[in-house]
Amino acid sequence: MNYQKEQIKNALTLHQINTNGYKTNLYAVFLATPLKKENVTLDALLTAVLRRGTNNLPTQEQISQKLEMMYGASFDCGVEKTGDNHIMKFYLETLGEEFLPQPEKLVEESINILLDIILNPLVENGAFKPEYVEGEKKNLKQIIEAKIDNKNKYSYDRCIEEMFKNKPYGLYKYGYIEDLEKITPEELYKYYQNLIQTCKIDIFCSGIINNSNIKEIVSKNENIQKLQERKPEYIVNNETTEAKEKQEPKVVEESMQVTQGKLVLGLDINSTEENSRFIASVYNAILGGGANSKLFQNVREKQSLAYTANSGYIRAKNSIFIRCGIEIQNYQKALNTIKDQLEDMKNGNFTEEDIQNSKELILSTIEGINEEQDTEITYYYGQELADRFVSIEEYANKIKEVTKEQIVNLAKTVNINTIYFLKD
Amino acid sequence: MKIVESSKIKEKAYIEELPNGLTVIIIPKKNTKKKYIIWGTHFGSIDNRFIMPKTNEEVFIPDGVAHFLEHKMFEQPNGTNSLDTLMALGIDANAYTTNDHTAYLFECTNHFEEGLNELMDYVQHPYFTDENVEKEKGIIGQEINMYDDDPSWKLYMNAMNCMYKENPIKIDTAGTIESISKITPDVLYKCYNTFYHPSNMTMVVCGDFEPENLIEEIKKRLLPKENQGEIKRIYPPKEEKINKQSETAQMEVSIPIFMLGFKDIENNNEERVKKHIAIEILLNMIIGKSSKLYAKFYQEGLLLTEPGFDYEFSNEYAHILISGTSKDPKKIEQGILETIKQMKEKGLEQEHFERIRRKIYGDYVVEYNSVGDIARMFLADAIKGVQTFDYIEQFETVTKEYAEEILKSIFKEENEILSIIEPIKN
Repeated sequence: MNYQKEQIKNALTLHQINTNGYKTNLYAVFLATPLKKENVTLDALLTAVLRRGTNNLPTQEQISQKLEMMYGASFDCGVEKTGDNHIMKFYLETLGEEFLPQPEKLVEESINILLDIILNPLVENGAFKPEYVEGEKKNLKQIIEAKIDNKNKYSYDRCIEEMFKNKPYGLYKYGYIEDLEKITPEELYKYYQNLIQTCKIDIFCSGIINNSNIKEIVSKNENIQKLQERKPEYIVNNETTEAKEKQEPKVVEESMQVTQGKLVLGLDINSTEENSRFIASVYNAILGGGANSKLFQNVREKQSLAYTANSGYIRAKNSIFIRCGIEIQNYQKALNTIKDQLEDMKNGNFTEEDIQNSKELILSTIEGINEEQDTEITYYYGQELADRFVSIEEYANKIKEVTKEQIVNLAKTVNINTIYFLKD
Repeated sequence: MKIVESSKIKEKAYIEELPNGLTVIIIPKKNTKKKYIIWGTHFGSIDNRFIMPKTNEEVFIPDGVAHFLEHKMFEQPNGTNSLDTLMALGIDANAYTTNDHTAYLFECTNHFEEGLNELMDYVQHPYFTDENVEKEKGIIGQEINMYDDDPSWKLYMNAMNCMYKENPIKIDTAGTIESISKITPDVLYKCYNTFYHPSNMTMVVCGDFEPENLIEEIKKRLLPKENQGEIKRIYPPKEEKINKQSETAQMEVSIPIFMLGFKDIENNNEERVKKHIAIEILLNMIIGKSSKLYAKFYQEGLLLTEPGFDYEFSNEYAHILISGTSKDPKKIEQGILETIKQMKEKGLEQEHFERIRRKIYGDYVVEYNSVGDIARMFLADAIKGVQTFDYIEQFETVTKEYAEEILKSIFKEENEILSIIEPIKN
């Protein structure tokens, strides 16, 4: 296997992925902390402030110039929800050393810059630089307000929010304007100092790296050496941790200026058996995974009710979301057709061929995991957070073993939790 | 077979023109399981008037035919759909239509041969009936509605409207509900027979292949076709000036979005790649991540992220586009024009120029990470008559002096336009 992981410190793990199919090396650092209403906005703001400057490179302009000299190394950061954790993600991508026009050492420099940005931020008088915090507050405010711009994404986020009302996963990853306005540079820095000593830290390196001693570079990095041993606060989510209660579907309708309606259905899977995620993946693929799926065939192709009709499985929450773009007057017809498909699944109204096609679809996605560096990193990080390690080969085998009986049994536990409709 | 090579990034492309006129480009990639094939025809939304080589008949088609045709190619006489057939094999298949070409593609790790059978079968067998054409109008109508709700699409279309009075780039790729209502099987067959001739098509394949064997596999699957003369495409005459300086529309967005453009009038074929590289360096120097102007706008809260840039060109149009999100697009425009003026007066800083040139080199190399990116890039470039490796090979020939010349000749204030989408005022 080209993947190995080792502890550098307690709750600080180094993951190395050796691969030679790319022109680039990708480095990633993830900080995981539980999703909490009082912290989400701080997390989002913090991530943005960190990229503004370090004690070594105090301005963003200087950071960018440095990266441009490294043949346009690209830095990116952001926040994501994974299960009930809020993840602050930092990435650096550089060219592999053998593709440079002249020989240069980029690996060590890359790791050091990335760690410098996260662990050695510019601090003045015991706080982040007020100008940076104020600037990023304004920017974040715009990002939060821009939530409505992409109607597909918005309706999906809204369905999640309604389905997980007053629960961590229902929180918006960029936070809330009322919380944002109160944050001061001192408070943010205090939050950072505590977070960095309590969060779970994972460092990933992917590329042609077997000739560079990554472990030594990371362990000797002075910012890493400064970190204390910790018992990390983060939450393990997988199919066994997500018990659900059956309830009447909640219907939410909202109006905006749109010509196309957006229909999103949130489904609960009420099965907490170990490894049921593999069955749920196949179930989801038959239901709405691709052009052969029941949703695509019945909602789009046969009835021309929608331009898009698909579903996605969120393993960390054991939920499925169905998403359709429909003509507004077709709402009831589309909803009925979707419900029919869910009934069909429960009654086993799908063929062996459907199962086979769906497995092929998933298997080709699995085979594609190590064809993209960030996908491969995300795969291993997902395993890390779920506390379930399955190699890519094993994962494929588990999918192949899923039977029709298992799918029908799982289908019987699937209930509609929330129906969200965005109309004009 | 012609072999072109880029030693810097250790890649090769095998290019062959078959006797029937089809160009095949193969880029072998070891160490990858993914395989990608894309088959494109030089027929896009701008090709709305032409003379059929066989009959010499002049044809004027409704807007959106190229895209409509793309949708209909998947349907087979036996009632199956090739997209479904490919998906059933675990193959990720798709198609798309742009201004200047239509492409059919798939990506897979296994079953490449079966996929190739299906792809080459359906692209060579059109099947249009009154019934299936009517049904498609409903599906495409939904797609058109989706575009109508998309502020960034509207932004782009308005930018094109500022740039040109009468250029086919202003045609909506999918057409309008009204224009597609006029599409008939007869129109589709006329376009198919003209533009889907091998001499008007290019196939690009990227993955772990032996080029010689693969060429034979492709040849075996090609249907015999009579040779066809050149397709005469009729476009309105080129316009020297912009149509209007700005256009603002209101839509449901929270912050205004903008697209600033410079119309390029000369479009010298020989220097296209070199010019393109110079333009990319200049755009980065003007408003890229490390530029003073971006730092200033960022600090003032006028820009949240660095704007996107693009240089779109074909024989019929060429323009630079800078787009982003800002609460005050007019201030962004002023700042950009002022910076350009200063750069023209003072010349470019050598150190800044060198740094950006290194960055651009990195940007080009990164494109060679995925088989899909490589194949799509080679196809899009081939349709324009550009050799893709030239971007890597020619980047050293772009000097500071050359970039200064380009700055003076293209970034002209009188050719500048601004399209804005702002929030709906209550």
